Amino acid sequence: MSNKPKKLQRYNRLQKIMILGILLFSIPAMIFALSADEIIQEMDRLSTFETTYSTGSIQTLDRFGTKTSLFKSWSQGKKDSLIEFTSKAERGQKILRTEGSLYLFYPDAEQLIRMQGAALRQSMLGSDISYEDMTEEKNTLDNYTAKLEQNETFKGNECYVLTLTAKTRSVAYPIQKIWVDTETYLTWKAEYSTAQGRLLKEMEVLETFVSEGRVIPKQSKIEDKMKKDSSTLMSVDSFEANPKLDRSIFTLENLTW
Amino acid sequence: MMTKLPKLAFRNIFRNLRRSILSAVAIAVSAMSIVMLFGLLSGMESDMANNLKSYYTGQVRIQNADFEKYERYNPLHLGVDWKNIEPILRDNSDVRAATPRINFPANMYLGEKSHGVMGIGADFSKEEAFIDFPSILQGGRLPQEGKNEALMGFALARDMHLGLGDKVTLLSTTATRGSNAFTFEIVGIAGFPVAGLNANSIWAPIDRVQKFLGMDGQAQEILMLLTDGVDEKQAALQIKGDIQNKVNTATDTRSWTELNSFYGLIRIAKIAYYFIAMFFFVLGSTVIINTTMMVIFERMREIGTLSALGMQGSELTRLFLLEGFFISLIGSAVGVIIGYVATYYMGKIGLNFTEAFSGMDIEISSILRPETNVLTAIAVWAYAVVISTLSTFIPSRHASKIQPVEALRYV
Repeated sequence: MSNKPKKLQRYNRLQKIMILGILLFSIPAMIFALSADEIIQEMDRLSTFETTYSTGSIQTLDRFGTKTSLFKSWSQGKKDSLIEFTSKAERGQKILRTEGSLYLFYPDAEQLIRMQGAALRQSMLGSDISYEDMTEEKNTLDNYTAKLEQNETFKGNECYVLTLTAKTRSVAYPIQKIWVDTETYLTWKAEYSTAQGRLLKEMEVLETFVSEGRVIPKQSKIEDKMKKDSSTLMSVDSFEANPKLDRSIFTLENLTW
Repeated sequence: MMTKLPKLAFRNIFRNLRRSILSAVAIAVSAMSIVMLFGLLSGMESDMANNLKSYYTGQVRIQNADFEKYERYNPLHLGVDWKNIEPILRDNSDVRAATPRINFPANMYLGEKSHGVMGIGADFSKEEAFIDFPSILQGGRLPQEGKNEALMGFALARDMHLGLGDKVTLLSTTATRGSNAFTFEIVGIAGFPVAGLNANSIWAPIDRVQKFLGMDGQAQEILMLLTDGVDEKQAALQIKGDIQNKVNTATDTRSWTELNSFYGLIRIAKIAYYFIAMFFFVLGSTVIINTTMMVIFERMREIGTLSALGMQGSELTRLFLLEGFFISLIGSAVGVIIGYVATYYMGKIGLNFTEAFSGMDIEISSILRPETNVLTAIAVWAYAVVISTLSTFIPSRHASKIQPVEALRYV
């Protein structure tokens, strides 16, 4: 008779300790858990440098074989980027994105070509990458509403799985589903779809490297699901973070230098 | 009696002249319509054949063996080696002329605007055998080799507010499956007979287009004209074999009739029109059937008298059949003559379908010229006479079945 209440008291105490423990452990987790917007902001912040200079290649595999284009690329902040192709077939061709506009420079053309609207979604050099993909601005939350779906392990990396829904009709992909590394905030995988859920494009990071303490994609595979038997490997051969760049290289006047 | 029947039948035509004229007019209108229809169809057929040979395929066309399979991807890398193939064609006595071409879809940029066009790279010195450029030039001159110059269809220039001396930038997919842009100066404006070429085409020297699209020494197709009397299909097979043997290249070499299904449709349509013509004549013949029936009822007393005097039923049938025959003969002749003259006149002045054909991508000229053909006219005339005469057989037989007693009741 006397043992039972003691046991009960001990059990109740243990229960209280467990609840307290759970609370003590979960409160910081609740306090420090990131919202979907915060994850996206961090992802954008870590993928954006003050300036960058890189060289790389775009290898396109389609029904006609493999084609490789080499490029040099410069970027500044979230909105300015310049790509110059150096491989023989496209030597001297440049793509400039600045002030929300995209311009193409061709050595034999006397005028710059401004890409607008649907033209931005055209394939760049026959690859699975569009002009818009290549020079996209790093301000995701301006165009999309983010929703954290779940956490998932992707190729051994713990990831946040987020769904981005377009706020405007001006974006190329109305729905994006992305797998963002919980530690490095690198987007390991992305699925781009129409508003009706039809898969348009798929991206997957195959290799990475670290620069300035940030994990950057070294090789990514992009597949345009609208094209049959086609895929593109985009590789970064060299990368320089925050080099000193002349601001004028992102101007139309200097595009033809 | 046999010799008297035609005379009697012919004389009977004039007994109610107005009704005979009405019957003849119905036949004449049918015959005239058919002559004009065949003239128009014949004009379309030869016009299309001419345009296809001059602007699209030549009499024989050579392409890369795989080009057609991937055509929707604009596979310019699947070209043909003009430098290697030209000597083979030069040595072939069946080939009168050959020219390399590169057809490429492009976006034409004018300031901030872009417009889809069809670019054509051509060797203008070799094109002389195919296209009479001096006659279609509306202004300026032909582009010169080695210069970024272009000739533009007049409707495209008009719609884009472009003129001689203006510059346009074309952006296109290249043979390396990349993209490139080139600026061309408009040095000539041409009025092509085909609406599609006027509205969309820009012609530039092939050497510049080869540089633009990364197709050094290559052509997208080679067009050929053959010496007169050479069988096109046989020649195509022989040329294909020659290229395969001499430069070990598999090509798609076919004659223009094998390449153009729409042209084949026109030929099928022509056969269909023979049947339509038959219905036209049967329709026209309803008037003559009606007239003959009325004549029979009107002349019932006469039929009875002739039968009572010993005229056989078959002779009565022949009498009315001959009347129908004479009316058909005259009506058809008049209709065919009027149709022939009208077709000839329309062929001279041409029928302007510019508005109707605008925006249509067919290889028929905007100004159609119907063609007259004496043999066709004679055939239509004979056809009209036979169908119309046979149509009168039905009421004519009725006359033979009338009993004299019954007929004399009408006295």
